[in-house]
Amino acid sequence: MKIIVCLKQVPAKDSVLRIDEGGQWVKEADLTWEVNEPDAFALEEGLRLKEKHGGEVVVLCAGPPRAASAIREALAKGADRGIHIEDEALGRADTFTAARAMAAAARAESPDLILTGLQSDDFGYGQTGVILAELLGLPHATIIMEVEKRDGSIKVKRELEAGWFQYVEMPLPALLAIQSGINKVRYATLMGIKKAKTKELKRLTPAELGVDLEPRQQIRRVYVPQKTKRTHLLEGSPKEAAAKLVEKLKFEARVL
Amino acid sequence: MQFGLTETQQMLQKSAREFFPAECPMADVRRLMETPTAHDPALWRKIAAQGWTGIIFPEQYDGLGLGMVELAALIEEMGRALVPGPFLSTLLAAAAMDAAASETQKQKYLASICRGDSTATLALLEATARWDLDAVEMQASGSTLTGRKLFVPDAGAADFILCAARSGADLALFLVDSKAMGLTLTPEPALDATRKLYQVGFDHVAAELVASGATARAALERALAVATAALVAEMAGGMQRVLEISVAYAKTRKQFGKPIGQFQAVQHQCADMFLLTESSRSAAYYAAWALQENVPEARLAVSIAKSYASDAYREVGNRGIQIHGGMGFTWENDLHLYYRRAKASEIAFGDAAFHRERIARLVMDRA
Repeated sequence: MKIIVCLKQVPAKDSVLRIDEGGQWVKEADLTWEVNEPDAFALEEGLRLKEKHGGEVVVLCAGPPRAASAIREALAKGADRGIHIEDEALGRADTFTAARAMAAAARAESPDLILTGLQSDDFGYGQTGVILAELLGLPHATIIMEVEKRDGSIKVKRELEAGWFQYVEMPLPALLAIQSGINKVRYATLMGIKKAKTKELKRLTPAELGVDLEPRQQIRRVYVPQKTKRTHLLEGSPKEAAAKLVEKLKFEARVL
Repeated sequence: MQFGLTETQQMLQKSAREFFPAECPMADVRRLMETPTAHDPALWRKIAAQGWTGIIFPEQYDGLGLGMVELAALIEEMGRALVPGPFLSTLLAAAAMDAAASETQKQKYLASICRGDSTATLALLEATARWDLDAVEMQASGSTLTGRKLFVPDAGAADFILCAARSGADLALFLVDSKAMGLTLTPEPALDATRKLYQVGFDHVAAELVASGATARAALERALAVATAALVAEMAGGMQRVLEISVAYAKTRKQFGKPIGQFQAVQHQCADMFLLTESSRSAAYYAAWALQENVPEARLAVSIAKSYASDAYREVGNRGIQIHGGMGFTWENDLHLYYRRAKASEIAFGDAAFHRERIARLVMDRA
């Protein structure tokens, strides 16, 4: 089974975020970078499927040159080879642009299964996987908690709201957006880190894939939400004040 | 010369930084402290599965053949997470085996350590508690050892013990099975409960000769240099954690209506801790690099690093406790655990005075 795992490199979770001069993104010079956490779960799931059913795991990343370190980390964890669609502009590309670039590269690979994380930790749109599947004409499912391979198909468990789950059987090839926490992500072993140096990392440009990077959407403004605090004194006897409080919690705060 | 870590080394560091807090969180550190050996075989197997037990040893003995800088990057993270157990003592014994043992012994013992199947330690100190090799007085009679070694780290968790002794006037290195007849282990009180110390008694214990004379001396000097450089990197990791804990506390603890980190007196303490930590780290990595490359001043670099870090870790611990005030020495706060490690590490493999004296000797010898 050939599995493509899509990876994104995002600012590390403990980064201190400062808004840039243009007010449209954060200052990237201050940041350290890491593999998008939901994508790490997708990679782990891909590696487990490969270990169980054979085949190969190909890591696909559309990102700036710095993102190569995220691919090498995936290779160190056990992926067989990597494809890096490399362009500085891909660091802030919208979901449609990123998905189009990855679709062009994925099409040439004819994978049996494509795995993505549910969403990215920076933009958090949760759309790249879905758009990628649509561009490739593949069936897809999101919020995947379990994957079971069958003959020519897969059965997946989706997480719904309020503790409900849904089981879906899908034909292959397909795309799955993996929910964080589906598995326990492995560490890169020393042997894996050594081997990663010799694994193939293919670099492609958007031009080679015939993809333009014209953005379909723009971020107008990034800002820190202003915190507001207001004190409201409830008058009357304790009984009256309690009744007013319950009313406010029910109809204004909507927590009861 | 490469001043920063390579991408591979950064990947190893990242992997270790994720591994230790997840696989050995402070709750486990505290749990293991209360056990007789502070050794968790399950954790050891996980460490071995990462390839870390054989990190610097040759591939022919199931090691990974990486360098001292990689070891420093790894063990710095172990220090940061205050990992208990016999990693450092096993490294010390394995480095001595690597330097002096026969091919057969390496295949049997060193390979077993690299695979994570065995742990080991080195019994060196005697009643004088001196770290120089000339202080070794215990006499071997043929291949039989009788005598007493003190402050042997992690002996209770070791599968075998390397023992420095005299064969006639010559220094010699022997290997003893930890279950050998006549061998007794007595736990010694230790400030750092994550790293247990033992008194090891030898009563006509059958031992296997590993090396003697100049070979044994060179092997012990190399092993002590490797372990000392590794310990300094571990200390830098510990200092980093104390700094992080203290800065976080200074940002949240309020006095007179504002976080104490806004007071210049506290800021100075934090700045000094940062300086001590960074300087220790630089010295540790230079010593590791010097040993890896076998540069002539490698031993000097190791002593400079250890003499500085011995004082620095204690000082960082002191200041961390000052920033925390009364909280700093409550049992529930982790800070005192790092302080205990700082005090134990301060004297392990020679304190600052010991290494300053050695620096003087090495510099004068060169002049």
